[in-house]
Amino acid sequence: MTAVRTEHLSKRYGATLAVDTLDLEVREGEVYGYLGPNGAGKTTTIRLLLGLHRPSGGRAELFGVDAWRDPVEAHRRVAYVAGEPFLWPSLTSAETFEFLARVHGGTDVRYRDELVERFQLDTRKRIRALSKGNRQKVQLVAALATRADLLLLDEPTSGLDPLMEVTFRDCVVEAKKRGQTIFLSSHILSEVEAVCDRVGILRAGKLVDQGTLDELRHLGAQTVEVTFDGPAPRLPALPGVTVESAGASGLRFEVTGGVGPLIAALAGQPVATLSSRTASLEEIFLHHYDHGNGGAPG
Amino acid sequence: MATAALPVSTLVRRTFLDARVRTISSACLFALYGYVQPVGFRHTYPTLESRLQFARSFANNKAVVVFYGKAYDILTVGGYSAWRVGGTLAIVAAVLGVVAAVRALRTEEEAGRAELVLAGIIGRGSAFGAALAGVAGGMLVLGLAQTAGLLAGGLPAGGSMYLALSDITVMVVFVGIGALASQLAPTRRTAIEIGIAAVAVSWLLRVAADTSSGVGWLRWATPLGWAEELRPFTGAQPLVLLLPAAATLAMLAAAARIVAVRDVGTGLLAVPDSAEPRLWLLSSPTAQALRRELPSVIAWVLGVGLYGIVMGVVSKSVSSAGISKKLSRELAKLGSGSVLTPSGYLGFAFIFFVMAAALFACSQVAAARHEESDEQLETLLAQPVGRHGWLGGRLLLATAGILAVAATASVFTWLGAASQGESVSLPRMLEAGVNCLPVGLLFLGLGALAYALVPRASTGVAYGLVAVAFLWYLVGTLLGVPKWLVDLTPFQHVGLVPAAPFRPISALLMAAIGAAVALLALWAFGRRDLAGA
Repeated sequence: MTAVRTEHLSKRYGATLAVDTLDLEVREGEVYGYLGPNGAGKTTTIRLLLGLHRPSGGRAELFGVDAWRDPVEAHRRVAYVAGEPFLWPSLTSAETFEFLARVHGGTDVRYRDELVERFQLDTRKRIRALSKGNRQKVQLVAALATRADLLLLDEPTSGLDPLMEVTFRDCVVEAKKRGQTIFLSSHILSEVEAVCDRVGILRAGKLVDQGTLDELRHLGAQTVEVTFDGPAPRLPALPGVTVESAGASGLRFEVTGGVGPLIAALAGQPVATLSSRTASLEEIFLHHYDHGNGGAPG
Repeated sequence: MATAALPVSTLVRRTFLDARVRTISSACLFALYGYVQPVGFRHTYPTLESRLQFARSFANNKAVVVFYGKAYDILTVGGYSAWRVGGTLAIVAAVLGVVAAVRALRTEEEAGRAELVLAGIIGRGSAFGAALAGVAGGMLVLGLAQTAGLLAGGLPAGGSMYLALSDITVMVVFVGIGALASQLAPTRRTAIEIGIAAVAVSWLLRVAADTSSGVGWLRWATPLGWAEELRPFTGAQPLVLLLPAAATLAMLAAAARIVAVRDVGTGLLAVPDSAEPRLWLLSSPTAQALRRELPSVIAWVLGVGLYGIVMGVVSKSVSSAGISKKLSRELAKLGSGSVLTPSGYLGFAFIFFVMAAALFACSQVAAARHEESDEQLETLLAQPVGRHGWLGGRLLLATAGILAVAATASVFTWLGAASQGESVSLPRMLEAGVNCLPVGLLFLGLGALAYALVPRASTGVAYGLVAVAFLWYLVGTLLGVPKWLVDLTPFQHVGLVPAAPFRPISALLMAAIGAAVALLALWAFGRRDLAGA
């Protein structure tokens, strides 16, 4: 069963097309990274998924329930962390937890206490007196403690310190082990790379790429660095391979496609060391955006 | 380009422009109110004889003095205008002064914008001064608007300016109070509450001074009294201006002193950051809304109760001795009904409670909008919570609040009247209170519809509708326009119990329209995007 599905989902605000015929599908139990720079349409997508904003075209479903037509039913198995931690300033964290738990229709109190401990929250503090990072932690704890089948997280680690970010990643991994589905909108690539099974890249409201990290890597070049005993030799030109020198006795190759022809060309040479690495998510991401500059989206 | 402008003057302009909607709408009110008084008086009392009779019977009536303050000379157009403007508009000016100062100072700090400014090259003292200068610009606009209204009404230039000045001095003093309250309170809400409490105390002091013999000196203890003692059009005493000037300077100096020593973002009155959890009223969004609105409902109930007691007490002193039938009818045209008997007077007093109920409805629309603009609603509606349930719950809460306001008005006015041995029955006063419901529901429905259709403008639209409708009720009859035009305001359709019989059909109709419009609002709210700030 799919946890999240959109069909030709579009949203227009006046002259701006914020989300453009989006087709998404997130399977149950999957951790889906939703990537894009500021203003790409990530938050708009989530608001459409929750039925908070009305689609201009297409539809959004959570567990097969139309989010706009029947938001209450669609939200039964969902917990949400908003991009901005706006809560009720006069309530303390403990009161906020209690309220959100009742509104959600129940929560795992023991797990919540454990999370409060792990995220180091003082629950007697009023929301008004908390820093942005601490308010974000309140939201996270409330959402995670519900053990909802689907967690919709909109840039959940903004404002968190690196230690808390680690705690957050641990929680995501645990949730995944329990079979929960996680939709993680982010622009922090290392975070997505660390926890997500599949990634979608959004640009100007359109999904420009989607797949597992391995699938996405076909786009990025593989980097092969070779050092030789003695000066670097001159190699014949190979299709899909660019060469640049790296010091007196080294060469760096950027390879798109297979590395076979390169290995063959290197066979007779005095190779001392050879290292290869695949494209990082950052390189894939930049690849999409660099190529998009000035051109029409998509 | 204005890149060369001084940082401080940029801040002054910002403060002035931030308040532009409030400044413009208040300026319209001040100009219109100033214009209507002289014109209405000439129209209703054209001859000296009619004015003499009016003066003898009406203006020295203590119960009327409660509303309009002490009259020094109401045989002339100028004197009458000064009486009406100084007594009523001065209270509006006081409230505006508090709001203007708190918005410019405490709200900026609470929202964190002040921190941004103070991180730059502007010092705390300069920022404080710049905010007040921006507020002063707004007051200048109001003074000019009022002068223009009085001039258009045919009053002489010098007197008009002086009358407008007397009104604005009240605002100036209350800007001082608002500035001081902004240093004491850590939140906008508390600062406004302190300021409004100060307005209430000033009003009570004036009421006591104007209506009780032997304590006339109390007039010198309230800014509203100083405005009376300036005596525009009735033997001006400009030296009295020293009093508001000195009081304001003292308060601003104290506020500036506090600004210099306290931490940015805090107030002198500390609020504890931590608390033991109190888990009552958290079971649903509506329960939690009640929890948050409870302090404000209590404040409304206290205010209405206080006003009710005063009205009840002074109703005893109303007398109709020596009033002709003809004059009674003329007085009725002033929009006051027959105010010359205790029950007539109470009927007149109750229209203000009806207005209070309508304003309370607006405050609840504003609270709902606030929950949305602060994006708490987004968190809420991402839960298994329906939009209709949420808004419907808020509207029910508002209705319960209107009921509370109505019941308080009835009971406390009765208590006040009964304490003076006045023979008004409690059931009759409760019947009077019932009048608050249909009008309150009508404006609640209209406010909710505005909220559903134009969320960002909804608070202004809701309050604006009530203000326009009530002003039209007060002045519409004075201007001699066709009856159907006057009848456009809902307040015209209230049967002013106990002066007049209850009007069940009008009441039912207004309540039904309110309910229908509220249903429409629920439907429309279900179809729109949530709208942030």
